[in-house]
Amino acid sequence: MASVSLSKAEKSFIQTSLQATPPLRADGRALLDYRTVLLETGVASQANGSAKLNVGKAPLEGGGGTEVLAATKLEVEDVENGDGLDGGRIVCAVTCSPSAYPHLSSNALDEVQYDLTMILHQTISHQTLHPKNLGILPKKKSWLLNLDVVVFADAGNVLDAIFMAARAALWDTKVPRTRAIQYQAKKAGSGTGSGDMDVDSGNEPGHGLSGFDTRDMARTAADFELPDYWDEGEVLDGRDRWPVCVTLNVLPSHHYLDATTPEEASTPLKLHLAFSFPTDQPCHLQALRLLGPGELQLPQLKTLIADGEKYAKELFTALESKLRDEDLRRNVKARDKFASR
Amino acid sequence: MSSRIEILNDGGYRSDGRRQYELRSIDIDMSPQGTADGCAVVSHGLTQVQVCVFGPREARKRAETLHDRAVLNVEVGVLPFSAGERRRRGRADRRILELAASIKSTFEPVIQTSLYPRSQIDIFVSVLAQDGGLLQACINATSVALASAGIALGDLVCAVSGGVHGTFPLLDLSALEEGDLPNVTVAITPRSGKVTLVTLETRLHVDRFGEVFARACEAGRVIHTEMRRAVRARTSKLVDAMGAGTKGTGEEDVERDVLMSEINDF
Repeated sequence: MASVSLSKAEKSFIQTSLQATPPLRADGRALLDYRTVLLETGVASQANGSAKLNVGKAPLEGGGGTEVLAATKLEVEDVENGDGLDGGRIVCAVTCSPSAYPHLSSNALDEVQYDLTMILHQTISHQTLHPKNLGILPKKKSWLLNLDVVVFADAGNVLDAIFMAARAALWDTKVPRTRAIQYQAKKAGSGTGSGDMDVDSGNEPGHGLSGFDTRDMARTAADFELPDYWDEGEVLDGRDRWPVCVTLNVLPSHHYLDATTPEEASTPLKLHLAFSFPTDQPCHLQALRLLGPGELQLPQLKTLIADGEKYAKELFTALESKLRDEDLRRNVKARDKFASR
Repeated sequence: MSSRIEILNDGGYRSDGRRQYELRSIDIDMSPQGTADGCAVVSHGLTQVQVCVFGPREARKRAETLHDRAVLNVEVGVLPFSAGERRRRGRADRRILELAASIKSTFEPVIQTSLYPRSQIDIFVSVLAQDGGLLQACINATSVALASAGIALGDLVCAVSGGVHGTFPLLDLSALEEGDLPNVTVAITPRSGKVTLVTLETRLHVDRFGEVFARACEAGRVIHTEMRRAVRARTSKLVDAMGAGTKGTGEEDVERDVLMSEINDF
């Protein structure tokens, strides 16, 4: 993606060393090793969920690495008059800081942004991944979830980093609790009463609804309020479903993972695979993209997808355990934190 | 909502518990980010700004260069989730261009551009979180980032915002105060005692201006000591990391800097 100028000699040097036995990489990794991935959730104070991710930072506060910040923000949308959808919707956007691609002009930067946005948006906002709790009032109000990903530095493999950060931010997202409210005359008017009956056949027509009964309110309510509660809300549904992406860099004989920028520039073919691993279900392939001037036979593609699933599963498990750790770290009670100081 | 919050209560405290002239906590992080030559993340309370400096280097377009000095290129990006309400601002947004222009004009006289002829210095500002005092945070972060990139500066530029509530001047306004008060941002170069930027977007009585301005200049000096401390800590750490052989000379350098600043101090 990042267009680095690399001479033919350099390219062939990298290619031959990758194909040597044993394969050699500049940073001493094996072909299927990832660089160190650093993750922290809850970094943006004004967002509903956020995560900062770095792939391949130099140790001891050195710079470098691919650095990505993802954050989600919820907005209320009107379904009837606005452009909201019943049950909520998700919009993703990727922004690249000019410091990530200092050699690109602003037009070229826009193109990179657009490309990354399309991949992320089409994958994340797909029907099969849609969370259940983004609706507020049926046919009236719903949440719009904005997922913004910012690329601060690109040292290769930016798409895997974006997907990991997006998954972490969505995992971290809390949807505010809402309570439907409605103003009613003392005696329910015949119009609303019959409307209730049509929907809910369990209700006897003779019974007047108690003012305290809010069970069916959500169907008829005109508006909602945000109850004051001790936490920021419930977690966004479908935590386990958000996909992870692995990029297989395909050389004629074999493939490798987590390419650095020079390696990316000298590899003819890249295969992006996004897998989702819902609990108690077989995994789903959510997105596939083949980039580059190289070519691939169909049977090869099949084995690559099977391999990709294996790597994605490992990545998914590692990310999951890190996210659970982060949850624990951030939910330590203030009193315990103070005691341990 | 904001009309019900007292800006300054009878006890002399502001809505976030600060006194009249108290600044928010300043945090300066100079650890490198990505491939930038110089980098700084500066936070004033909940306002956080990251600046990456590239250069001096060859310009992308040859036509943009000047034969006798370096050209500054400032680009500002405001992250869509940095404010309370989500808002996407494009690169050509007016407020952003204005912010970039004021950063550029602040630093043009301070950077010794004549030392780097036919080259370009890129300053990329990203606003991570905003809670008032955006311009101030941008300028302070840029100053530190330029210093960490090793670009020759006349001095560190220190900016601070001030406002007036009734007849009381306040310093370092938060977003809440900024919405209600006439406010001014002042940037000074403490060593030469010069002012490089004063911006006032709202109306302020002329009798009050002098006092706010004087307080802001004083506060700028406080921020200057904070910045210098951060830059010196970072530099001595780097010198230590370079190994024992160069350690002696490194310390001498730091000592000399102390002496120089004492001479120049007010």
